[in-house]
Amino acid sequence: MPVEVILPKVDMDMETGTIEAWHVKEGDLVRQGDTIFEIGTNKAVMEVEAPASGAIRNIKTETGVPISVGTPVAWIYLDGEAATTPSEPAAAAATVAAATTLSKAETPAAPVITVAPTSSGLRATPLARRIARQNALDLKTVTGSGPRGRIGESDVKRHLEQRPRCAPAQEARPAPAAGASEGRLQPFSAIRRIVANRLSESMRTAPHFYLTSEIEMSAARDLLGRLAKRHERIGAPKPSLTVLIARVAARILRDHPVINASVEGEATRFHERIDIGIAMERDGDLVVPVLRDAGSMDMPAMTREFARLREGMAKRTLTPAELGGGTFTISNLGMYGVDSFTAIINPPQGAILAVGRTVDKPVGREGQIVLRPMANFTLSSDHRIVDGVAAARFMADLREALENPELLL
Amino acid sequence: MPSDTLEAVSEIRELSYAEAVREALGQAMEADERVFLFGEDVGVYGGAFGVSGDLVHRFGKDRVIDTPISELGIAGAAVGAAITGMRPVLEIQFSDFVTLAMEQLVNQAAKIRFMFGGKASVPMVVRLPGGSGTGAAAQHSQSLEAWFAHVPGLKVLQPSTPHDAKGMLLAAIDDPNPVLIFEHKLLYKTKGHVPAEAYRVPIGKAAIRREGTDLTIVGSSIMARKAEAAAERLAADGISAEVIDLRSIRPIDFTTIAESVRKTHRLLVVYEGVKTMGIGAEISAMIAESEVFDFLDAPIIRLGGADAPIPYNPVLEKAAVPQEDDIVTAATNLVRRGEA
Amino acid sequence: MSAHQKPNQRPELAALDDATVAQALTRMHLIRKFEEAAEASYMRGLIHGTMHLSIGQEASAVGTTLPLEAHDYILSTHRGHGHCIARGAEPKLMFAEFFGKETGYCKGRGGSMHIADVEGGNLGANGIVGGGLPIAVGVGMSIKAQKNGRVCMVFFGDGASNEGAFHEALNMASIWKLPVVFVCENNKYGMSMDIGRAMAVANVADRASAYGMPGHCLDGNDLAGVAAVAKVAIARARSGEGPSLIECKTYRWRGHSKSDRNLYRTKEEIEEWRNQDPIRRLEDELKAHDRFDAAALMKLEEGAQRDIDAAVEFARTCPDPDPKDLTRDVYAL
Repeated sequence: MPVEVILPKVDMDMETGTIEAWHVKEGDLVRQGDTIFEIGTNKAVMEVEAPASGAIRNIKTETGVPISVGTPVAWIYLDGEAATTPSEPAAAAATVAAATTLSKAETPAAPVITVAPTSSGLRATPLARRIARQNALDLKTVTGSGPRGRIGESDVKRHLEQRPRCAPAQEARPAPAAGASEGRLQPFSAIRRIVANRLSESMRTAPHFYLTSEIEMSAARDLLGRLAKRHERIGAPKPSLTVLIARVAARILRDHPVINASVEGEATRFHERIDIGIAMERDGDLVVPVLRDAGSMDMPAMTREFARLREGMAKRTLTPAELGGGTFTISNLGMYGVDSFTAIINPPQGAILAVGRTVDKPVGREGQIVLRPMANFTLSSDHRIVDGVAAARFMADLREALENPELLL
Repeated sequence: MPSDTLEAVSEIRELSYAEAVREALGQAMEADERVFLFGEDVGVYGGAFGVSGDLVHRFGKDRVIDTPISELGIAGAAVGAAITGMRPVLEIQFSDFVTLAMEQLVNQAAKIRFMFGGKASVPMVVRLPGGSGTGAAAQHSQSLEAWFAHVPGLKVLQPSTPHDAKGMLLAAIDDPNPVLIFEHKLLYKTKGHVPAEAYRVPIGKAAIRREGTDLTIVGSSIMARKAEAAAERLAADGISAEVIDLRSIRPIDFTTIAESVRKTHRLLVVYEGVKTMGIGAEISAMIAESEVFDFLDAPIIRLGGADAPIPYNPVLEKAAVPQEDDIVTAATNLVRRGEA
Repeated sequence: MSAHQKPNQRPELAALDDATVAQALTRMHLIRKFEEAAEASYMRGLIHGTMHLSIGQEASAVGTTLPLEAHDYILSTHRGHGHCIARGAEPKLMFAEFFGKETGYCKGRGGSMHIADVEGGNLGANGIVGGGLPIAVGVGMSIKAQKNGRVCMVFFGDGASNEGAFHEALNMASIWKLPVVFVCENNKYGMSMDIGRAMAVANVADRASAYGMPGHCLDGNDLAGVAAVAKVAIARARSGEGPSLIECKTYRWRGHSKSDRNLYRTKEEIEEWRNQDPIRRLEDELKAHDRFDAAALMKLEEGAQRDIDAAVEFARTCPDPDPKDLTRDVYAL
């Protein structure tokens, strides 16, 4: 009897998933454990392994449409089984939940970017939740006026009225401007959808403010050169500027707990651990692998970890736990020649550091105009938990540390 | 019967609840000779609560039949008469005494049609005066309607107005199934408009007694009347309550309740029967299970009888069942603070 | 006296003509064979629930109903197969019901304990001990109000005579002089409890005087005797004089139900009653008076066996009910 391949439930509250891509085609021979397709949930993209070895048949080819958990998406015909079945095997076919790369994760995967939570700790009436859903509103950002802080309809409506005018997600479908080329319409990938929703949400709910510092990178550059030699000697990968910045940030975040913090309803969550997310691009998607416990790593360790994450990302072997749950994020676009930019905070984090390119610029030093390698650092902060002075102090420490890295000793 | 005279003034005619029931019985017996009334002291005594009144003089003792004090026996007699072509209307003197007749109502009346593959029907009506408030204490004051609403095969009604008392009794007598009508003793003397003609109030349809927007109060039997009075007071306080009179608890009109809650987002259920495992539990659960759940903006609140037998002392007796003040307080808390 | 001269028949037997006796005997055979086939089907797993067999009590069921008219009513008990067949129920529709089939008397909804044939005047077997007694009062009220001249015969066991329903029903039927015949089939045991331990008077029929009605205590395994008394009680009921109580002393050869291990009675007692087999007794008496020869009697029995075999075969092939119709007959529309 052929083995059914179902769209597996890979997350606690998952009801539907989307097949992002098939790695096999009709008739391919697969071995148990081979990746056969990628599934996008509302949290992350995961690979699904073949539950048995044999020939793949009856692939449901729809990608990009939501499918209910448990729906058969293909069948695997074992060796010797009639490979030409006119229709789908009967429902009696053995159901074997397809294994996923997640199955070995010890703890429930932390999402790369969390979706609006449906329960844990948050009190809201069913009606409030319904309206929030319809308006893509994160209830965490709403203040409840009911008993024990329960959010009701009136709280949500008040909140919606106060937020910047913005059409609800479902209605945001403007017709193409008259005369404009229709072009190619590509539906969002699962990741793109998450990024779009979460960053929109961030801009709507988190009052951003930005501080920019131009920092001299001579000492950092010099240090990076020396580190490269040392790493070569000890067999560690070559360190990059991004890692160095992450290392420095991790060190000074210790002294700035409010920057290493998140918004939680009406409270500030000060994180004990420093987990630094590094914004990266993969096949046109934004992903943020996390240097877990960055505060405890030295440069070789962090460089190795960063290399591992980058490789895992390229090979798509990272778990959602490795792709989410940071406490602070760094986005470096300097390698693309960007001078400076402002980044959108990765919610529920309180701040993100945007790094521009390092370029020789004339600066005044001891009464002389000299050329020095300079880079722009812009910190975006959520004003709900971070005040201007607190952000400025962080930036001052960042400048001091990058310009005088020996002070970190 | 001079019905033509009555019709002429039907627009303004008021009857008490007890008179309305009696009028329905009289009209049913006049229209259909299969209909007969029987029970303890329904004859010359006129019924323990005066409901049957002079009917024995109008229809004779063969159609208004005094029975021995044998609740099980007379309940079974109603079943036997019903399955062989009669339309018996049985009065159980106090609804509490139905405990003695459970076997025949639950095992026989409710199940005969089903057990016999649909080849019999049991068109009988049982009238049961119930409820507290008369100082009759624990064995003469109960509200046991929910017991019977738990039994497939029975229909259970709780008319709260003279108009419905008449119209629902006539509908029940027409109905080909066993129908239990719980009449609240405190309602017997209440008055209201009752048309003279023999009209029917459909079984299984709740009545919206008052429209409102802030919360829905579902009441059954006398609690529907109390809810109406409470709604009047709530209105003066700026709270707009929609009041639904359940009228029938099996079948239950879930649609009317659901539509109302979808509009008001808040639900308060008030009933005199013991709150635990009662009507309110069923209504709450039905809302929670339905798509209307997503329209709730506050927890569902039940006001029901205390977990105690009905006491004799009048202060305790009042405390044992929901009162108008309780409804006002609960509704206010629900709307203003989101809790009861 | 010639050699062929036989002692005179009892008047009870003489009162039954050959056709009536043949019909009665056929029905007793049908009951016996029906229940034996039901038992066999049960053991082969063809029957889902339990059943209460009346093997040994056939004369009571057939004798009491023999004088009834076609339009009269009966109300039966959990041990009621005999009453159904005695009133002319079709074994094939009864077996279909046993097998839970849509074609059964109750469309498979009732099973062994709830066989009814309302149109045929069988207002139903009853799973509750004493359940039919108050209903009989209402049926009597109906008959009286409708003045249709019918009679209602209600069966119950010795156990039921200790239920409150028994007293309420007999009392009401008597005060209103209802056309009801109360038939107690006293088979000595209320499940396991001997009637002698459950009742302080010797006979159930002794209780009739408390309700002002005649009480008849009979040998329930004597078809002719039972029929003769039933005839009197039925006539009394039909004439408006009121109800009677008939007690048929009999015995069930099998246990109370299929789960009975017979711990409360002895093999000897069962054997003693087996020797009082109502069918054999009637056959012997008929042969003794030369009313039927052995071949004729054998023919009746074989005919009954063929009917039962055909009934089982019919029921086996009938369709099961469709689960989507589960709630169909909960309410009349």
